[in-house]
Amino acid sequence: MGAGFRVPLRVPAAFLAPALLLLAVFRLTPIGIAAGGSLTGTRLTGETVFVGLANFEALAADPSFWRSVEVTLLFNLVVNPLQIVCALGLALLVLRPTRFVPLFRAAFLTPMTVSIALTAVLWAILLEPTSGPVNGLLRALGLPPQPFFRSEHQALPALVAVASWKGVGYWMIFLLAGLLTIPRELYEAAALDGAGPLQRFWRITLPLMRRPLAFVLVADTAANFLLFAPVYVITHGGPNGATSLLMFEAYQAAFAYLDHGRSLALSTVILLILGLIAAAELRLFRERR
Amino acid sequence: MSGSGTARLLGGLVRYAVLVLVATLLLLPIWWLLVSSLRPSADIFRHAAEVGLATIWPERITLEHWERALAGELPRAVGNSLLVALSTVGLGVLVCSLAGFAFAVFEFPLKRTLFALVLLTFMMPFESIVIPLYVLIRTFGWTNSYLALILPEVASGLVVFLFRQFFAGIPRELYEAARVDGASWLVIWAKLTLPLSGPVVATAALVLFIHQWDAFFWPLVAAPSAELVTIQVAVARNVTLEVANWGGLFASASTAILLALIPFLLLQRWYIRTVTLGTDR
Repeated sequence: MGAGFRVPLRVPAAFLAPALLLLAVFRLTPIGIAAGGSLTGTRLTGETVFVGLANFEALAADPSFWRSVEVTLLFNLVVNPLQIVCALGLALLVLRPTRFVPLFRAAFLTPMTVSIALTAVLWAILLEPTSGPVNGLLRALGLPPQPFFRSEHQALPALVAVASWKGVGYWMIFLLAGLLTIPRELYEAAALDGAGPLQRFWRITLPLMRRPLAFVLVADTAANFLLFAPVYVITHGGPNGATSLLMFEAYQAAFAYLDHGRSLALSTVILLILGLIAAAELRLFRERR
Repeated sequence: MSGSGTARLLGGLVRYAVLVLVATLLLLPIWWLLVSSLRPSADIFRHAAEVGLATIWPERITLEHWERALAGELPRAVGNSLLVALSTVGLGVLVCSLAGFAFAVFEFPLKRTLFALVLLTFMMPFESIVIPLYVLIRTFGWTNSYLALILPEVASGLVVFLFRQFFAGIPRELYEAARVDGASWLVIWAKLTLPLSGPVVATAALVLFIHQWDAFFWPLVAAPSAELVTIQVAVARNVTLEVANWGGLFASASTAILLALIPFLLLQRWYIRTVTLGTDR
């Protein structure tokens, strides 16, 4: 930051006060509440008492917590690479602005204007097992209808598909922006040297896309890690815990089981993992400048 | 040579085939929802379970679901969402531009540390603190109030950052001249800086508006009462409570989708630039 004006301290203090106060109260205090509250419990009499790490010990001993961790990790290990590969594929497809390509770009971006809650509503209807149109289409093609979100085995893959329907076009923009900065001459020179399209992709595109890809990976992971609306709207964590993502577990602990300590312990776990993701993000941000 | 020409033509055909396929996969669900909201109830079920041409092109059209939706809670939900989003935009532009101005123009102790803290808040997605924030709001006694929906979203690290970047590009000489003329810093911010900053004000407004319009998790927990219901929560509740009334659900979901989609189609380029500033949070 360059040389600013030297003024009495009260001037910048007055300009900063409203924003910093709001950020301190509504963004930083909750982190403290999560950490502090996770160390407390509520007695039957209603009073709050310090319980040390008992909430975390209870989580560690709870198979449904580990089930949720497993589901969240599995979901993220599948959805993030899948979305990035699809987004990169789409970005490469619309890279050269030939005829109609601007229209296709706009079409690919349209799902991102549909909020995550509405995306969940839309796909809850589309994948409804008895009267939904996706099963209607399968029947019309002579294929057996599927249970989708009603099946323990299909629910998580269906969740991956729904998240990707909304996300892929969005992440495509960042990768497209990256691809557009790669000089054409590099490809032309490589083609003159006899490099085929695949070689050009591995030797030029991928190495030069390292930063945009790393950025999208981190940001996409943060977004998917906190996925909540589709679980709340469509599956409520089921069937049999197959879609019990951590964010939904924290919500259930707070609003269904009214277990204050557990919900804040879960929030703390989520914040810690996000802290790691943010640290990775910060490193990328530094690298960029 | 003709061999490679054929290969290129074939490659082009494959490319367009994939483009059409993906576009269909992404757009058809939205289209189906919109046209189904115009069908008589009997047709909705029939053409969903038995897929044919009529599934994507309605044979009969009715406005009954829309009329019923407009007579129900939908107008209230749209009104609440607009009120919350527009209040957030107004207060947010004010508060964040003041802070951005301080970071861009003044020299003061702890400047780097404070700015790093602001950046940190925009790397922590809002959803991650929803539950402890709810605990805080409850101790304030603010649950089920517009205040709970609006105030936590007013200060945004991303928006402060945007303002700082833009304001830092305004030449120092302009400020010096204004100071020589005896203008106070508040007057300079209001009469000199903000009028020069149309694009960033518009961008900040759009960021804040989209974030609030799409918000679901926070309104769901912070203000669950029927009077304060926002559009996202209203539509999501319909799907869990009354999957039987598909017509009404389709009309309200279509309204919510169109209210975001139409501005997108009109302001496409600008919208994309704005949304890609932050990440999905």
